[in-house]
Amino acid sequence: MTNASTMEPVAERPAASASTGAGLGLWLTLPAQLLVLFIALFPILMQVYISLTDWSPLDGIPWWRAHELWIGLLNYTDLMADSRFWGALWRTMFVMAVCVPVQFLLGLGLAVLFVDDFHGKRVLYSTLLVPMMVVPAVAGYMFFMLFQSGGPVNDLLSLFTSDPVRIAWLSDPDLALIAVMVADIWQWTPLMFLILLAGMISVPQDQQMAAILLGASWWRRFFTIVLPRMKSIIIIALAIRVIEIFKIFDTLFIMTGGGPGVATETISVYIYKVTQQELIWSYVAAIALAILIVLSVVSVFAIKRMQRGQGT
Amino acid sequence: MQRAIPFEIFRYAVILGIVAISLVPTLWMVSMAFKPIAEWSAAGADLTWWPRNPTLDNFRFIFGQSSTDLIVALERTAGRPILASLLTATFGTLIAMTAGTAAAYGLSRFGQGGNLPLALIQLRLFPPMAVMIPVMIMWSFLGLIDNWFGLSLIYGIVTLPFAFWLMKTFFDDMPREIEDAALVEGCTRWRVFVRVTLPMMRPALASSALFVFILNWSDYLIALLLTTRDWATIPVYMASLSSSMTGQLYGAKAALGVIAAVPPIIMGIAIQKHLVRGLTFGALKE
Repeated sequence: MTNASTMEPVAERPAASASTGAGLGLWLTLPAQLLVLFIALFPILMQVYISLTDWSPLDGIPWWRAHELWIGLLNYTDLMADSRFWGALWRTMFVMAVCVPVQFLLGLGLAVLFVDDFHGKRVLYSTLLVPMMVVPAVAGYMFFMLFQSGGPVNDLLSLFTSDPVRIAWLSDPDLALIAVMVADIWQWTPLMFLILLAGMISVPQDQQMAAILLGASWWRRFFTIVLPRMKSIIIIALAIRVIEIFKIFDTLFIMTGGGPGVATETISVYIYKVTQQELIWSYVAAIALAILIVLSVVSVFAIKRMQRGQGT
Repeated sequence: MQRAIPFEIFRYAVILGIVAISLVPTLWMVSMAFKPIAEWSAAGADLTWWPRNPTLDNFRFIFGQSSTDLIVALERTAGRPILASLLTATFGTLIAMTAGTAAAYGLSRFGQGGNLPLALIQLRLFPPMAVMIPVMIMWSFLGLIDNWFGLSLIYGIVTLPFAFWLMKTFFDDMPREIEDAALVEGCTRWRVFVRVTLPMMRPALASSALFVFILNWSDYLIALLLTTRDWATIPVYMASLSSSMTGQLYGAKAALGVIAAVPPIIMGIAIQKHLVRGLTFGALKE
């Protein structure tokens, strides 16, 4: 039985004898607190500092002396005018806008087909989950092979045409992004399916039974009873995919390396390239910090809203 | 609910179709892994869906046995990267599970660390790329670049949110009567945790650890930034199987891909009833 409990990140019910264990509780949470502090506080302060300079690891001075290369807010004003950055951001948003709805609708459709019992359900269910467990880098390599001009995708397309199809998917600026999105949809539709199915099963049966007795059609029951009750699950599923696609890197980078040109360059790929190839680390710090600030504001706002929504 | 026969036919047709599509990419890689060079190289242009002469040559090749058909020999074999992946993923899992389990218990039972749930969700939200500059600077300062511990430590931090949330939901679900009974017997809080709670939670700990291991094993970006050679993990090493000299070694890459893909698929299926809980940070339990 699935139990859709609420997200309750802050409100906790301490044990009755909480006071006696408070000391132990502090000790137990200490390692996690230190790790979070270590990855959050120090790096962010460091990024603030470096982003105000023109430092790069090639300058030959250690990072703490970066103030010798102080340039103030120049990195941030550069960022505003950096068309490659905005292009990458826009491209990431585009991938999100295509992949998330497609994954959602496919996942929802599959969940509907799986919600009641049929022969072979367990095996088919497990098989459907396989793509999301494939290491993303390996999935990237699979699709790299599939989309070669002499590869299986073209081979299948050739079945419908008289001439053999020889499309160079990954080196065509327009098609490369499609190939990358196909790979993402292939890999992550199972995740949508998994979450939405769990949510659908947790919708109580009683109201649906009543609706059946009243003669409500399947579509009506689905849209007026099932979907509204899945609202918080749907939001969580969508949020997970939005967050993950914002970070998209592994599969895409192995398939195209962000190319041809910048045709598939997303935010993470862009930052990676500036980090590894152009080595302008102070600028990367500025980009990263800008992203962190925006995401923090958005996430705090979203989580507050969700908590308020569940309080009622 | 009994539905009409046409619906059943429709259901099987759609599901089997989607299952087939979802298996093709994986099966294609498996097929490539067992093909001899003549069937996977660009020269042998005609495409075969299934190996005509299945062979283990690709697997032998990545473990250092030079192939008669393939002139090139590998500068580095796949043994070391596989070891690197195993060691760093395992150690990263150990770090995440230790810190995560302790903190989850501290919060679930004693209400300590109320800031952690939100902080950890936010940690999950940020692209790793956005904190990697400071990490790379710190790591090179500490000599942790291309070092198994350096990579494990960052894995432990990145997957800490999952370990914490999974264990927290498991602790929240666990009845407290047994712990209370042990307390009445005169055990200290610490002893109850170590001797009573943890042994009872063994299945939950195992599922969570496998879940975290899959995530660590699946990483590419962090290893790409923090390792160069000695501790390059499987995905990073994979890129070295193509060069301007040799072209794409499709078969060898596919063989390595199969090796990389098998463990998480088996583990994932083993813990599938906890996948939803892990992926949604406990918002949905099964």
